[in-house]
Amino acid sequence: MLIVNNLVKKYGKQNAVNDISFELQGGEVVGLLGPNGAGKSTTMKCIVGLLRKTSGEITLGGFDHLSVEAKRLFSYIPETPYVYDLLTVQEHLQFIAQAYGVRDWKDKTDKYLEIFELSDKADKLGRDLSKGMRQKVSICCALLPDPQVLFFDEPMIGLDPRAIKNTKQIFKELKNAGKTILVSTHLIDSVETIADRVMILKNGNIVGNDTISNLKHQFVQEEGTTLEDLFLEMTKDE
Amino acid sequence: MNEIRLLFWKDIRILINNIKLILKNPLRLLPYAGVVGYIFFMYTMRMKDRSNGDSTEQLKNLDLDAIPSIDFATQNIIGGITVLALIFLMYQLFKATKNNVSFFKMADVNYLFTAPAKPENILIYYMGRMILPTLGGAIIFIAYGASQAAASFDFTTANLVFLVLSLALFLFMLWPIRFLVYTLNTKFGVLEYIKTGVIGLTLLLAALILIPGLMAEKFWQGMFSWISSPWFDFFPLVGWSRGIGSYLSHGNMLISLGFVALYVICYFVVVKLVIRFSGYYYEDVLEATKSNEEKLDKARGKKQLGESSYSLNTSKKLALPDFGTGAKAFYWRNYVHSSRQDFHPLFGLYSLIMVAVGILLAGLSLFDWFSHYFIYAYLMIMLLLYFFAGIGRASVGDLKKPYFILVPASWSSKFWNLIKLDIVQITLFCLMMVIPAVLIAGLHWLIVPFFLLATIELYLIGFGVNLIPQIALDEGWDRKLIKPVMIAGIFFFGLIPTFGLSLVTFIITKKFVWALGACSVGCFFIAAILMHVSLDVLKRLEFKEV
Repeated sequence: MLIVNNLVKKYGKQNAVNDISFELQGGEVVGLLGPNGAGKSTTMKCIVGLLRKTSGEITLGGFDHLSVEAKRLFSYIPETPYVYDLLTVQEHLQFIAQAYGVRDWKDKTDKYLEIFELSDKADKLGRDLSKGMRQKVSICCALLPDPQVLFFDEPMIGLDPRAIKNTKQIFKELKNAGKTILVSTHLIDSVETIADRVMILKNGNIVGNDTISNLKHQFVQEEGTTLEDLFLEMTKDE
Repeated sequence: MNEIRLLFWKDIRILINNIKLILKNPLRLLPYAGVVGYIFFMYTMRMKDRSNGDSTEQLKNLDLDAIPSIDFATQNIIGGITVLALIFLMYQLFKATKNNVSFFKMADVNYLFTAPAKPENILIYYMGRMILPTLGGAIIFIAYGASQAAASFDFTTANLVFLVLSLALFLFMLWPIRFLVYTLNTKFGVLEYIKTGVIGLTLLLAALILIPGLMAEKFWQGMFSWISSPWFDFFPLVGWSRGIGSYLSHGNMLISLGFVALYVICYFVVVKLVIRFSGYYYEDVLEATKSNEEKLDKARGKKQLGESSYSLNTSKKLALPDFGTGAKAFYWRNYVHSSRQDFHPLFGLYSLIMVAVGILLAGLSLFDWFSHYFIYAYLMIMLLLYFFAGIGRASVGDLKKPYFILVPASWSSKFWNLIKLDIVQITLFCLMMVIPAVLIAGLHWLIVPFFLLATIELYLIGFGVNLIPQIALDEGWDRKLIKPVMIAGIFFFGLIPTFGLSLVTFIITKKFVWALGACSVGCFFIAAILMHVSLDVLKRLEFKEV
């Protein structure tokens, strides 16, 4: 579904993403892990077209990632949930429904607003929402078009425990529905249970890209090792 | 063109929600009503003057033989306005080589840029939409200007429409042009060529003023003769706007519409070029959009002004002394910050320049043709400057950080360490400037302590004026209403009597030194009261996080 070939992103002379290649098959859930500054957000922003890649090739469903056709296939949940100050929660969803051509948006809107406990905030303006609520709006907007691929960039930041639980539940439901998900996060346990595979980035390079069990087998030989231990082992400074 | 429809729908919804917000709180309209009232008042006053017929009477009595063949006054007014517009245009072009223009919000980045929408359609819509704020600004400006000039000109609807168009189109066209300049730079890396072009054009325009000026009998008579001549109306943007606005004098609609047509053609050419060269521009506007959003947040008070805004050298390696523990950490932090801002934390480049100017003025005062009053005026300007520096200090720094509350030290100690570096800097600056100045110019030696005291006191007054309402008053109407009352109180019962006393002292003694002495004594009491209140309210400081 997603093919990234030799992606390079430079800021000036510095390589933020250093010639990485990977693929995401349809229905796969992949966790993108890495320490701060590893290049996770940059990679994701290059894929969704917010940053211009220095070189490399990215295709989504066979289309170039910058084409309108590719964009119909995915949704992106950004790290910082900016919203329109003067649009209500409901209007945000209506806006997205129009942008993506979602027909039965009203029922879906009600469903997602209920899941994320935003039903009573439907008429609230964006400027009056807390950061957590904005994040919820952002997630609802991403789910509304029912995309094939979802890119979550630190989706749990700012969410309350119930919303985190609901988001994890949503991940499971999306996985069961055959959606492809790439989720970048620092909350390792949030992907441990649902990720088919993890990719660990360090200094713009992929230092591990496999199933959790294979990576454990490859890098840590001890029994009872968690994904967190594995992450710390693979990203430690030499 | 689904994107255009979608964006139009979004903006209509935003407009409706804004109207709803205003209706919820109509008091928001009060300042606007004030502006409209002022314009209306000025208009009626000017119309009254006009009906008195003073100007026409003057015209009748005009000695036609005394009028020069060239109306230099009109020429210089037209030339002056043209030069101002040209400076603004050059500045905008130069700015475009450094930063990109962003028409977008971060919400657009998150929701629109990742949506299946064509980037060029989004750009076309947002670029076209910029006509609304520029038109609005132009209407307000022309309404204000017309109300002031109503006695001299006959403002018909057509006059006003063309004046509004001339200003609005000029401001509007700058946006796509700036975007194009940045786009060409990112696409082809032609920054140096564009910069050279802008500098070359600036020199050419300067020559257009200098050459006729030097050729004329008197410089001021000739300097604007070229750029105020009718052929300059064909100079892009500035000239075209002048051509549109000149309807006021010639009344020929066809000529003015011709210049409007030039703008329309230019807009379409620039848009075509922008669409062609901007390509996938999302990354180019990302930084500018984020920075605009942050500025907006700061303006709304959501975020404090970052200290890094003033930093000159962030990578400077520092070997700093340890000043001690507790609240001294704040002095240390200010010291570090100041070290990065200037070549020395206690005495920087600006201080050096100001000292040099002071000493230069003192040196010049030794000549007969240069009065001591220039030094006195300079000292008073410095006093005013440090008053504003005090006001600014309360907005930047540790005060809004949680550490200021958390550090285990007394409030008075924290407060002292917060302002200590400024006091040291002020003291050094004052002494280094005023001692040589007094010695060179042969002024009274008491100016040294009086100036030092008055500067520190005015700095503390400025600091207190801004700090007290920030901490003591909650957000909203409290701060908006009580702050001006408080400032007015400080002015009416503190600063004005002090300056009054100073002035009286000067009139009686005819000596600046005693006037400065009176000022420093008066300011001492105001500063003492404000510092007492500041220390008292400081205990109520709480960390406000958004």
